[in-house]
Amino acid sequence: MTEPRVVERFKKRTICLHWIHTAAFLILLVTGAILFFPGIGGPAAGGLTRLIHRIAVVFFVAIPVIYSVFNPRTALHFIKETLTWGKEDIGWVEAAPLYYFGVADEKMPPQEHVNTGQKMWQLIVLGTSVLFFVSGLIMWFFKGTVPAGLFQWCVIAHDVAFLLAFLMLLVHIYTGSIHPRMTESLRSMWDGRISKKYAKSHYGKWYDKISANEK
Amino acid sequence: MELSRKDFLKASAGAVGLLLLQPPALALAKESQTGEDSAMLVDVTKCVSCWWCYAACKNYNKLPETIKPDPEQPPPLSPNVWTTLKPIKRGTEWFSRKQACNHCTDAACVEVCPTGALSYNQMGFVQYDKEKCSGCGYCAEFCPFGVPQLERNKLSGAAVMDKCTFCKDRVADGEQPACAAACPTGAIKFGKRDELVKEGKERVATLSKANNNAVFYGDKELGGLHVMYVLDDSPEVYGLPVNPEVPAAAIVRDVLKWVGVGAAIAVLAGFGFNYIVAREARMTRELPGGEYMRKRKDEENK
Repeated sequence: MTEPRVVERFKKRTICLHWIHTAAFLILLVTGAILFFPGIGGPAAGGLTRLIHRIAVVFFVAIPVIYSVFNPRTALHFIKETLTWGKEDIGWVEAAPLYYFGVADEKMPPQEHVNTGQKMWQLIVLGTSVLFFVSGLIMWFFKGTVPAGLFQWCVIAHDVAFLLAFLMLLVHIYTGSIHPRMTESLRSMWDGRISKKYAKSHYGKWYDKISANEK
Repeated sequence: MELSRKDFLKASAGAVGLLLLQPPALALAKESQTGEDSAMLVDVTKCVSCWWCYAACKNYNKLPETIKPDPEQPPPLSPNVWTTLKPIKRGTEWFSRKQACNHCTDAACVEVCPTGALSYNQMGFVQYDKEKCSGCGYCAEFCPFGVPQLERNKLSGAAVMDKCTFCKDRVADGEQPACAAACPTGAIKFGKRDELVKEGKERVATLSKANNNAVFYGDKELGGLHVMYVLDDSPEVYGLPVNPEVPAAAIVRDVLKWVGVGAAIAVLAGFGFNYIVAREARMTRELPGGEYMRKRKDEENK
């Protein structure tokens, strides 16, 4: 039995933002990661990957900025949502291990539009973006003009941001599209809709709110 | 042949003993190897700032001349200037120190180069492979002597680096590097490293009779430099760091990448385990949020 997917979860423009941002990030990730180990650094020779890295970052920064200019309320809501943490989040953390291993579901408190785990991801995205942006900007435009010590720690900051973002991206991909419970998440980031059943069980608090609004 | 228990234990003890002995033996081998390496000794007290080293380097390495050498404004190191004279002002007098790659045994540039463009060659020199270089400039930012220089396009980030090769082709053919061959005063001497260390120390001992500040520089610094200096004043006066080190950030970076690899493997293994467990469980259990749903149903029934 397939449930009709009738609950709107993401707007089209948000989905566009998500995938363009993803593409830019993956290009940045690949062109950056090859600089980690001299053994795989071959493609970087000649500097073409460094140029691609610079072009990709323009999209990576500009696309969310343009989105925010045209959708200031959504952007503000995103930031507020990411930075608001409460008691329910502790409940999620306590319930998560058993929930995600499929052992016990009952303890999992009903979630908002995004659950605590997704909020952690959003926080990593926001936080590492700032770290990436500041350290990257210095390395791009102020190489040779800032003291060598500052440059060196910018390299480290960029590396740390990369590690955090990369590891959390693995978690995001797994929990968003592979985990056995997340049957509709990936599709919802494609056409924006989920079933009522999925909305109730995964985002109970949010579903209550939107169904109350409809009445 | 059958090994008795006693024989086995003896053999094991022997093997462990050998293993324990090995590190110092290896370390010794490395040290004596550095001693056998070719090296240069720069004696600043003999330098008359004639710029012949600069000209010989340009000529032999076919580096285009872009700036007219001017003792008042000497050209700094660049991809086209592999050796230069660093002007040193002491009181009202001007001195020079020959400045070029010091070919460290533990080189920060080799440590941080992301593509392996910088490496150690068999002669112990730090060699640069233009074909592998991405132009990232980490070498320039991590070298404690500020030797590698890049010409770069600020917008595109495209950059080229180049530096002293120690005239490795000439040295391999048994010749001196061009700069040493050209030096008319013996301020640049080429030879076996351990002999130059001895000579440098003797020279400093002689200088010390009249000058307490005289030092020999480069013997132990960064695992031993392949360009060492006889200085008549503290290294700082000559623009050389007193205790040059591979910057801490280079070591942190090295640790970070292996932490990253370890963490990524752990995370992926965790997903595999989680997937196997959760997939089975999903088949047999009710939908998540069960308790919440029941409570709501109870409320609705009230």
